[in-house]
Amino acid sequence: MTDGPGYHPMVRRLLDGELTLQDLPPELQSEGEAALRSILPRCAPPPVSFSPSFEQRVMAAVRSRPRPRPRNAWGWLGEVREIRLQLRPRLLALGVLAGIVLVALTSRLRSGSLAGTAAGGGTDSVYVRFVLYAPKVSSVALAGSFNEWDPTRTPLVPAGETGVWTVTLPLAPGQHTYAFVIDGQRWLPDPAAPAVDDGFGHHNSVMTVTATGGHTS
Amino acid sequence: MNDAEAVRAVLAGDIEQYAVLVRRYRDRYAGYATRLLGSVDAAEDAMQEALIRAYDNLGQCRDPANFRGWFFLILRNSCYAEARARRRHEDHEPLNEAALVADGAGRPDSAMEETERRQDLERALWRLTEEQREVFVLKHYEGLPYEEIAKRTAVPVSSLKMRMHRAYDRLRATLMEKP
Repeated sequence: MTDGPGYHPMVRRLLDGELTLQDLPPELQSEGEAALRSILPRCAPPPVSFSPSFEQRVMAAVRSRPRPRPRNAWGWLGEVREIRLQLRPRLLALGVLAGIVLVALTSRLRSGSLAGTAAGGGTDSVYVRFVLYAPKVSSVALAGSFNEWDPTRTPLVPAGETGVWTVTLPLAPGQHTYAFVIDGQRWLPDPAAPAVDDGFGHHNSVMTVTATGGHTS
Repeated sequence: MNDAEAVRAVLAGDIEQYAVLVRRYRDRYAGYATRLLGSVDAAEDAMQEALIRAYDNLGQCRDPANFRGWFFLILRNSCYAEARARRRHEDHEPLNEAALVADGAGRPDSAMEETERRQDLERALWRLTEEQREVFVLKHYEGLPYEEIAKRTAVPVSSLKMRMHRAYDRLRATLMEKP
Protein backbone atom coordinates (compact mmCIF):
# COMPACT_ATOMS: atom_id res chain seq x y z
CA MET A 1 0.00 0.00 0.00
CA THR A 2 1.10 3.59 -0.45
CA ASP A 3 1.55 5.70 2.62
CA GLY A 4 -0.25 8.71 1.19
CA PRO A 5 0.62 12.16 2.38
CA GLY A 6 3.26 12.05 5.05
CA TYR A 7 3.40 14.12 8.18
CA HIS A 8 5.50 17.24 8.21
CA PRO A 9 8.90 16.47 9.80
CA MET A 10 8.08 18.76 12.72
CA VAL A 11 4.86 16.86 13.34
CA ARG A 12 6.81 13.61 13.36
CA ARG A 13 9.07 15.09 15.99
CA LEU A 14 5.97 16.15 17.90
CA LEU A 15 4.79 12.53 17.88
CA ASP A 16 8.26 11.44 18.98
CA GLY A 17 7.94 13.72 21.99
CA GLU A 18 10.83 15.91 20.89
CA LEU A 19 8.61 18.96 20.30
CA THR A 20 5.42 20.27 21.88
CA LEU A 21 2.44 21.77 20.12
CA GLN A 22 3.68 25.19 21.16
CA ASP A 23 6.88 24.58 19.21
CA LEU A 24 4.97 24.18 15.94
CA PRO A 25 4.39 27.17 13.66
CA PRO A 26 0.74 28.25 13.36
CA GLU A 27 0.27 26.59 9.96
CA LEU A 28 1.16 23.19 11.47
CA GLN A 29 -0.95 23.47 14.62
CA SER A 30 -4.01 21.73 13.24
CA GLU A 31 -1.97 18.92 11.65
CA GLY A 32 -0.14 18.47 14.93
CA GLU A 33 -3.33 18.35 16.98
CA ALA A 34 -4.91 15.85 14.60
CA ALA A 35 -1.80 13.68 14.67
CA LEU A 36 -1.77 13.59 18.46
CA ARG A 37 -5.47 12.71 18.56
CA SER A 38 -5.27 9.87 16.07
CA ILE A 39 -1.78 8.44 16.61
CA LEU A 40 -1.44 8.94 20.36
CA PRO A 41 -4.93 8.65 21.89
CA ARG A 42 -5.01 9.75 25.48
CA CYS A 43 -6.90 6.81 26.90
CA ALA A 44 -4.78 4.05 28.33
CA PRO A 45 -4.29 1.03 26.08
CA PRO A 46 -6.29 -1.96 27.20
CA PRO A 47 -4.23 -4.39 29.24
CA VAL A 48 -3.42 -7.70 27.61
CA SER A 49 -4.00 -10.78 29.69
CA PHE A 50 -2.88 -14.28 28.91
CA SER A 51 -5.00 -17.25 29.80
CA PRO A 52 -4.98 -18.13 33.52
CA SER A 53 -3.34 -21.47 32.77
CA PHE A 54 -0.34 -19.91 31.03
CA GLU A 55 1.97 -20.06 34.04
CA GLN A 56 0.93 -23.65 34.77
CA ARG A 57 1.64 -24.69 31.18
CA VAL A 58 5.08 -23.14 31.18
CA MET A 59 6.00 -24.58 34.56
CA ALA A 60 4.74 -28.01 33.55
CA ALA A 61 6.99 -27.86 30.50
CA VAL A 62 9.89 -26.66 32.62
CA ARG A 63 9.51 -29.48 35.13
CA SER A 64 9.68 -32.04 32.35
CA ARG A 65 12.98 -30.72 31.02
CA PRO A 66 16.55 -31.29 32.17
CA ARG A 67 17.63 -28.91 34.86
CA PRO A 68 19.65 -26.02 33.46
CA ARG A 69 23.29 -26.32 34.38
CA PRO A 70 25.23 -23.48 35.89
CA ARG A 71 28.35 -22.51 34.03
CA ASN A 72 30.74 -24.10 36.46
CA ALA A 73 33.91 -26.03 36.16
CA TRP A 74 32.08 -29.35 36.05
CA GLY A 75 29.05 -28.37 34.05
CA TRP A 76 30.80 -28.79 30.72
CA LEU A 77 31.14 -32.51 31.29
CA GLY A 78 27.53 -33.13 30.40
CA GLU A 79 27.03 -30.10 28.23
CA VAL A 80 26.85 -29.90 24.46
CA ARG A 81 29.66 -27.66 23.29
CA GLU A 82 27.52 -25.26 21.35
CA ILE A 83 30.32 -23.55 19.50
CA ARG A 84 32.17 -26.56 18.23
CA LEU A 85 29.33 -28.98 17.70
CA GLN A 86 26.13 -27.10 17.22
CA LEU A 87 27.19 -24.49 14.71
CA ARG A 88 25.65 -24.79 11.30
CA PRO A 89 28.16 -24.58 8.46
CA ARG A 90 26.97 -21.09 7.60
CA LEU A 91 27.57 -19.83 11.10
CA LEU A 92 30.95 -21.50 11.22
CA ALA A 93 31.85 -19.74 7.98
CA LEU A 94 30.78 -16.41 9.28
CA GLY A 95 32.79 -16.94 12.41
CA VAL A 96 35.90 -17.58 10.36
CA LEU A 97 35.28 -14.46 8.38
CA ALA A 98 34.89 -12.52 11.57
CA GLY A 99 38.32 -13.63 12.64
CA ILE A 100 39.89 -12.58 9.39
CA VAL A 101 38.62 -9.06 9.52
CA LEU A 102 38.51 -8.57 13.23
CA VAL A 103 41.48 -6.30 13.58
CA ALA A 104 41.99 -5.39 9.97
CA LEU A 105 40.96 -1.84 10.69
CA THR A 106 42.60 -0.33 13.68
CA SER A 107 43.91 3.12 14.22
CA ARG A 108 45.72 4.77 17.02
CA LEU A 109 43.59 7.18 18.97
CA ARG A 110 45.67 10.29 19.08
CA SER A 111 45.83 12.07 22.35
CA GLY A 112 42.73 14.20 22.69
CA SER A 113 41.57 13.76 19.11
CA LEU A 114 38.71 11.44 19.80
CA ALA A 115 38.76 11.28 23.54
CA GLY A 116 35.38 11.00 25.14
CA THR A 117 33.61 9.73 22.07
CA ALA A 118 32.87 6.47 23.77
CA ALA A 119 32.70 5.27 27.31
CA GLY A 120 35.98 3.87 28.43
CA GLY A 121 37.91 5.49 25.61
CA GLY A 122 40.95 7.01 27.18
CA THR A 123 43.64 8.89 25.33
CA ASP A 124 45.73 5.73 25.04
CA SER A 125 42.91 3.71 23.57
CA VAL A 126 42.98 2.18 20.15
CA TYR A 127 39.89 2.02 18.03
CA VAL A 128 39.18 -1.53 16.94
CA ARG A 129 36.57 -2.33 14.38
CA PHE A 130 34.77 -5.64 14.72
CA VAL A 131 33.12 -6.98 11.58
CA LEU A 132 30.93 -10.03 11.29
CA TYR A 133 29.24 -11.46 8.24
CA ALA A 134 26.00 -12.87 9.57
CA PRO A 135 23.16 -12.96 7.05
CA LYS A 136 19.63 -13.77 8.15
CA VAL A 137 20.14 -13.11 11.83
CA SER A 138 18.19 -10.57 13.83
CA SER A 139 20.94 -9.17 15.98
CA VAL A 140 24.63 -9.40 16.65
CA ALA A 141 26.33 -8.04 19.73
CA LEU A 142 29.75 -8.12 21.25
CA ALA A 143 30.33 -9.22 24.82
CA GLY A 144 33.69 -9.17 26.43
CA SER A 145 35.95 -8.21 29.24
CA PHE A 146 35.68 -4.60 28.09
CA ASN A 147 31.91 -4.31 28.63
CA GLU A 148 31.37 -6.58 31.62
CA TRP A 149 30.17 -9.34 29.30
CA ASP A 150 26.90 -7.53 28.83
CA PRO A 151 25.41 -8.79 25.53
CA THR A 152 23.06 -5.81 25.34
CA ARG A 153 25.65 -3.08 25.69
CA THR A 154 27.58 -3.31 22.43
CA PRO A 155 25.32 -4.15 19.50
CA LEU A 156 26.80 -4.43 16.04
CA VAL A 157 25.10 -2.35 13.39
CA PRO A 158 23.95 -3.96 10.13
CA ALA A 159 25.30 -2.47 6.92
CA GLY A 160 22.03 -2.35 5.04
CA GLU A 161 20.89 -5.72 3.79
CA THR A 162 24.41 -7.03 3.13
CA GLY A 163 24.56 -9.30 6.16
CA VAL A 164 27.64 -7.46 7.40
CA TRP A 165 27.55 -6.20 10.98
CA THR A 166 30.11 -3.82 12.43
CA VAL A 167 30.99 -1.94 15.55
CA THR A 168 34.02 0.16 16.41
CA LEU A 169 35.23 0.34 19.99
CA PRO A 170 37.96 2.18 21.82
CA LEU A 171 39.96 -0.43 23.67
CA ALA A 172 42.77 0.15 26.09
CA PRO A 173 46.08 -1.53 25.31
CA GLY A 174 46.24 -4.95 26.85
CA GLN A 175 44.60 -8.31 26.47
CA HIS A 176 40.85 -8.58 25.96
CA THR A 177 38.60 -11.60 25.78
CA TYR A 178 35.36 -11.51 23.86
CA ALA A 179 32.69 -13.39 21.95
CA PHE A 180 29.98 -12.49 19.49
CA VAL A 181 26.38 -13.01 20.58
CA ILE A 182 24.07 -14.00 17.75
CA ASP A 183 20.37 -13.30 18.21
CA GLY A 184 20.97 -12.78 21.89
CA GLN A 185 21.58 -16.46 22.50
CA ARG A 186 24.34 -18.05 20.49
CA TRP A 187 27.76 -17.21 21.87
CA LEU A 188 30.27 -17.40 19.09
CA PRO A 189 33.98 -17.20 19.79
CA ASP A 190 36.24 -16.25 16.96
CA PRO A 191 37.61 -19.51 15.50
CA ALA A 192 40.49 -17.68 13.86
CA ALA A 193 41.66 -16.13 17.11
CA PRO A 194 43.27 -17.85 20.05
CA ALA A 195 40.72 -19.20 22.45
CA VAL A 196 40.93 -19.52 26.17
CA ASP A 197 38.84 -21.66 28.42
CA ASP A 198 36.89 -19.38 30.68
CA GLY A 199 37.01 -21.90 33.48
CA PHE A 200 33.36 -22.74 33.06
CA GLY A 201 33.61 -25.09 30.13
CA HIS A 202 33.34 -22.49 27.38
CA HIS A 203 35.83 -20.73 25.20
CA ASN A 204 36.30 -17.07 24.53
CA SER A 205 38.51 -15.39 21.97
CA VAL A 206 41.52 -13.36 22.93
CA MET A 207 42.97 -10.29 21.33
CA THR A 208 45.84 -8.11 22.36
CA VAL A 209 45.72 -4.40 21.77
CA THR A 210 49.03 -2.60 21.55
CA ALA A 211 49.77 1.06 21.09
CA THR A 212 50.07 0.47 17.36
CA GLY A 213 46.96 -1.61 16.85
CA GLY A 214 45.45 -4.94 17.70
CA HIS A 215 46.31 -8.49 16.94
CA THR A 216 44.99 -11.87 17.84
CA SER A 217 48.13 -13.74 18.60
CA MET B 1 13.00 -11.86 44.89
CA ASN B 2 14.86 -10.05 42.15
CA ASP B 3 15.85 -11.53 38.81
CA ALA B 4 19.38 -12.42 39.80
CA GLU B 5 18.20 -14.23 42.93
CA ALA B 6 15.60 -16.15 40.96
CA VAL B 7 18.10 -17.18 38.29
CA ARG B 8 20.62 -18.34 40.87
CA ALA B 9 17.95 -20.25 42.77
CA VAL B 10 16.88 -22.10 39.63
CA LEU B 11 20.47 -22.89 38.69
CA ALA B 12 21.00 -24.18 42.21
CA GLY B 13 18.18 -26.65 41.70
CA ASP B 14 15.08 -24.85 42.99
CA ILE B 15 13.29 -24.86 39.65
CA GLU B 16 9.97 -23.75 41.15
CA GLN B 17 11.51 -20.29 41.52
CA TYR B 18 11.38 -20.03 37.75
CA ALA B 19 7.69 -19.22 38.20
CA VAL B 20 8.78 -15.84 39.58
CA LEU B 21 10.37 -15.02 36.24
CA VAL B 22 7.47 -16.53 34.29
CA ARG B 23 4.94 -14.29 36.03
CA ARG B 24 7.14 -11.22 35.93
CA TYR B 25 7.93 -11.36 32.22
CA ARG B 26 4.55 -12.66 31.14
CA ASP B 27 3.04 -9.53 32.63
CA ARG B 28 5.76 -7.19 31.42
CA TYR B 29 5.87 -8.31 27.81
CA ALA B 30 2.38 -9.69 27.12
CA GLY B 31 1.39 -6.40 25.48
CA TYR B 32 4.56 -6.20 23.41
CA ALA B 33 4.21 -9.75 22.08
CA THR B 34 0.49 -9.45 21.45
CA ARG B 35 0.72 -6.21 19.54
CA LEU B 36 3.71 -7.43 17.59
CA LEU B 37 1.95 -10.64 16.55
CA GLY B 38 -1.60 -9.38 16.37
CA SER B 39 -3.23 -11.99 18.55
CA VAL B 40 -3.12 -13.18 22.12
CA ASP B 41 -2.90 -16.82 21.01
CA ALA B 42 0.19 -16.18 18.93
CA ALA B 43 1.71 -14.10 21.73
CA GLU B 44 1.14 -16.88 24.25
CA ASP B 45 2.85 -19.38 21.96
CA ALA B 46 5.82 -17.09 21.41
CA MET B 47 6.09 -16.23 25.09
CA GLN B 48 5.90 -19.88 26.13
CA GLU B 49 8.56 -20.83 23.62
CA ALA B 50 10.78 -17.98 24.81
CA LEU B 51 10.39 -18.84 28.48
CA ILE B 52 11.24 -22.48 27.85
CA ARG B 53 14.25 -21.60 25.72
CA ALA B 54 15.40 -19.17 28.40
CA TYR B 55 15.05 -21.94 30.98
CA ASP B 56 17.00 -24.43 28.86
CA ASN B 57 19.78 -21.89 28.38
CA LEU B 58 19.69 -20.28 31.79
CA GLY B 59 23.24 -21.36 32.44
CA GLN B 60 24.29 -19.18 29.51
CA CYS B 61 22.86 -16.06 31.12
CA ARG B 62 26.21 -14.61 32.08
CA ASP B 63 24.76 -11.69 34.00
CA PRO B 64 21.71 -12.84 35.98
CA ALA B 65 21.03 -9.26 37.06
CA ASN B 66 20.44 -8.49 33.41
CA PHE B 67 18.01 -11.34 32.84
CA ARG B 68 15.48 -8.84 31.51
CA GLY B 69 17.65 -7.74 28.57
CA TRP B 70 18.78 -11.29 27.89
CA PHE B 71 15.23 -12.61 27.93
CA PHE B 72 13.90 -9.78 25.78
CA LEU B 73 16.22 -10.81 22.94
CA ILE B 74 15.00 -14.40 23.21
CA LEU B 75 11.38 -13.29 23.24
CA ARG B 76 11.89 -10.97 20.29
CA ASN B 77 13.40 -13.76 18.23
CA SER B 78 10.61 -16.07 19.31
CA CYS B 79 8.01 -13.52 18.20
CA TYR B 80 9.60 -13.15 14.79
CA ALA B 81 9.80 -16.93 14.41
CA GLU B 82 6.15 -17.24 15.40
CA ALA B 83 5.18 -14.57 12.88
CA ARG B 84 7.08 -16.38 10.14
CA ALA B 85 5.51 -19.71 11.04
CA ARG B 86 2.01 -18.29 11.02
CA ARG B 87 2.58 -16.61 7.70
CA ARG B 88 3.74 -19.92 6.24
CA HIS B 89 0.64 -21.68 7.43
CA GLU B 90 -1.58 -18.79 6.48
CA ASP B 91 -3.58 -19.22 9.61
CA HIS B 92 -2.91 -15.80 10.91
CA GLU B 93 -5.87 -13.82 12.08
CA PRO B 94 -4.98 -10.16 12.33
CA LEU B 95 -5.69 -8.59 15.65
CA ASN B 96 -7.74 -10.43 18.13
CA GLU B 97 -9.78 -7.34 18.70
CA ALA B 98 -11.89 -8.84 21.42
CA ALA B 99 -8.78 -9.17 23.50
CA LEU B 100 -7.00 -6.03 22.45
CA VAL B 101 -9.70 -3.43 22.17
CA ALA B 102 -11.20 -2.05 25.32
CA ASP B 103 -14.91 -2.01 25.76
CA GLY B 104 -16.02 1.60 25.91
CA ALA B 105 -19.58 0.93 27.02
CA GLY B 106 -20.72 3.02 29.91
CA ARG B 107 -18.06 5.64 29.51
CA PRO B 108 -18.66 9.38 29.05
CA ASP B 109 -18.82 10.59 25.44
CA SER B 110 -15.36 12.11 25.44
CA ALA B 111 -13.89 8.93 26.85
CA MET B 112 -15.85 6.93 24.27
CA GLU B 113 -14.32 9.00 21.49
CA GLU B 114 -10.84 8.43 22.84
CA THR B 115 -11.57 4.73 23.13
CA GLU B 116 -12.78 4.64 19.54
CA ARG B 117 -9.60 6.34 18.41
CA ARG B 118 -7.61 3.78 20.35
CA GLN B 119 -9.54 0.98 18.67
CA ASP B 120 -8.94 2.48 15.24
CA LEU B 121 -5.26 2.76 16.03
CA GLU B 122 -5.02 -0.84 17.25
CA ARG B 123 -6.51 -2.02 13.97
CA ALA B 124 -4.29 0.28 11.92
CA LEU B 125 -1.17 -1.05 13.64
CA TRP B 126 -1.64 -4.29 11.79
CA ARG B 127 -1.12 -2.49 8.49
CA LEU B 128 2.45 -1.69 9.51
CA THR B 129 5.42 -3.90 8.77
CA GLU B 130 6.65 -6.00 11.69
CA GLU B 131 9.65 -3.77 12.15
CA GLN B 132 7.55 -0.62 12.11
CA ARG B 133 5.05 -2.13 14.51
CA GLU B 134 7.78 -3.22 16.88
CA VAL B 135 9.34 0.20 17.23
CA PHE B 136 5.90 1.81 17.60
CA VAL B 137 4.89 -0.64 20.32
CA LEU B 138 8.14 -0.32 22.21
CA LYS B 139 8.05 3.47 22.17
CA HIS B 140 4.38 4.28 22.54
CA TYR B 141 3.08 1.29 24.49
CA GLU B 142 6.12 0.23 26.48
CA GLY B 143 7.27 3.82 26.89
CA LEU B 144 10.91 3.19 25.96
CA PRO B 145 13.10 5.98 24.58
CA TYR B 146 14.81 5.41 21.25
CA GLU B 147 18.15 4.87 22.95
CA GLU B 148 16.78 1.99 25.03
CA ILE B 149 15.04 0.47 22.00
CA ALA B 150 18.33 0.64 20.11
CA LYS B 151 20.06 -1.14 22.94
CA ARG B 152 17.49 -3.90 23.05
CA THR B 153 17.12 -4.45 19.34
CA ALA B 154 20.67 -3.70 18.16
CA VAL B 155 19.24 -1.29 15.60
CA PRO B 156 20.72 2.22 15.48
CA VAL B 157 18.58 5.13 16.62
CA SER B 158 18.63 6.73 13.18
CA SER B 159 17.15 3.58 11.61
CA LEU B 160 14.56 3.31 14.37
CA LYS B 161 13.44 6.88 13.76
CA MET B 162 13.17 6.24 10.06
CA ARG B 163 10.98 3.18 10.73
CA MET B 164 8.88 5.12 13.18
CA HIS B 165 8.33 8.05 10.86
CA ARG B 166 7.26 5.71 8.08
CA ALA B 167 4.95 4.09 10.60
CA TYR B 168 3.39 7.46 11.41
CA ASP B 169 2.77 8.15 7.74
CA ARG B 170 1.29 4.73 7.12
CA LEU B 171 -0.93 4.98 10.18
CA ARG B 172 -2.14 8.34 8.97
CA ALA B 173 -2.97 6.92 5.55
CA THR B 174 -4.75 3.93 7.09
CA LEU B 175 -6.75 6.03 9.50
CA MET B 176 -7.75 8.37 6.67
CA GLU B 177 -9.15 5.37 4.77
CA LYS B 178 -11.57 4.68 7.61
CA PRO B 179 -15.13 4.98 6.28
